[in-house]
Amino acid sequence: MGEMDTLKKEADGLKAQIEAARKAVNDTTMAAVASGVAAAPRVQLKNRKTLKGHLAKIYGLHWSADNRHMVSASQDGKLLIWDTYTGNKVYAIPLKSSWVMSCSMAPSGNLVASGGLDNMCTVVNIKAASPKTLRELDAHEGYLSHSRFLSDTELLTASGDTTCCLWDLETGKQKVIYKSHVGDCMCLAVSPDQNTFISGACDSTAKLWDIRDGGCKQTFIGHTSDINAIAFYPSGTAVITGSDDCTLKMYDLRADQEVNGYQDAALNAGVTSVSLSSSGRLIFAGYDNFNCNIWDSLKAEKVGVLSGHDNRVSCIGVPDDGLGVCTGSWDSFLKIWN
Amino acid sequence: MSGKVCSSNSVVQARRTVEQLRVEASMERIKISTAAAQLVQYCQEHSRSDPLLTGISASSNPFKDKKTCVLL
Repeated sequence: MGEMDTLKKEADGLKAQIEAARKAVNDTTMAAVASGVAAAPRVQLKNRKTLKGHLAKIYGLHWSADNRHMVSASQDGKLLIWDTYTGNKVYAIPLKSSWVMSCSMAPSGNLVASGGLDNMCTVVNIKAASPKTLRELDAHEGYLSHSRFLSDTELLTASGDTTCCLWDLETGKQKVIYKSHVGDCMCLAVSPDQNTFISGACDSTAKLWDIRDGGCKQTFIGHTSDINAIAFYPSGTAVITGSDDCTLKMYDLRADQEVNGYQDAALNAGVTSVSLSSSGRLIFAGYDNFNCNIWDSLKAEKVGVLSGHDNRVSCIGVPDDGLGVCTGSWDSFLKIWN
Repeated sequence: MSGKVCSSNSVVQARRTVEQLRVEASMERIKISTAAAQLVQYCQEHSRSDPLLTGISASSNPFKDKKTCVLL
């Protein structure tokens, strides 16, 4: 047998082994375990604020760790930083490339990052006398789909070149490259303990990575199309994914498999974005059909809807204090609900 | 050997795939019954401090516009 044939046989054998091991621990369903839990209250959130200022589709938003400020990115070529309590814009940062796909803010509130079809991640210091570009991180060979700061000196990015990367912001160089996906990486989320992160890709898989050694520890399958959105459960022991296959899934990290699915036969719009309430009980999911559905994460029932946008909901976020949820849309508005 | 030309690239890729699968196959998995029970417990322990579940009073809602009442 040629080496390729031997390797293929070994790969098939290992895949069968993994499937058998997952089956062996599959002794019940989340639905069964959650059947004794009281139903989540019917959730009726009101639109408290509409943030107006962008002139084109909004592609990303990220809350500051101070629970009050937020950065948003639009293909009008601007990053806007908002004081969400007053609705005022605090900073407007013009982008070199207007084809932005994501933005993020560092936990310190000092830095924001953005990137998109320019294949670069631009990091700006917003606390300088006037906002100043700190770094242009230029090594990805595909579009920048997502980024998240670990601190003012380290940033994770996800790219259409199928890799994710950890950057050293002091040198502007790549520290670790995470290679294993075979499709564009669309999203990433950092674990609460900051030791691992999870990525979702167009190869329909989600992967769990060790941040420091670059190794892929686990691969989660089940989706049948691109995974556009991903979030850690606040316990750090599960992840929620949202996909173009119109479903969301919960994967438990220690059982290494899907334990719950969120879908509705009537729903045939892809999931674009996902965020969780502070206890993890509520999943906020933005869809292509202009709505955001609210799911009970344990019972997999729809418990509410946020409607008010006139175009696709492209991004969602809940601040760390859990006091509200913000939706961003292609209709150029951000709305805050609670 | 067959007449196939195996590019060294695909062999390298296939080796990487097998190595990755070996790492994933070696994982210790816990039963879903245990894992799910712990997720339920986490949720319930934190539900009382989840403002979107419990509701937020108007006075402690930072996003609600404060309107003053005018007595006519």
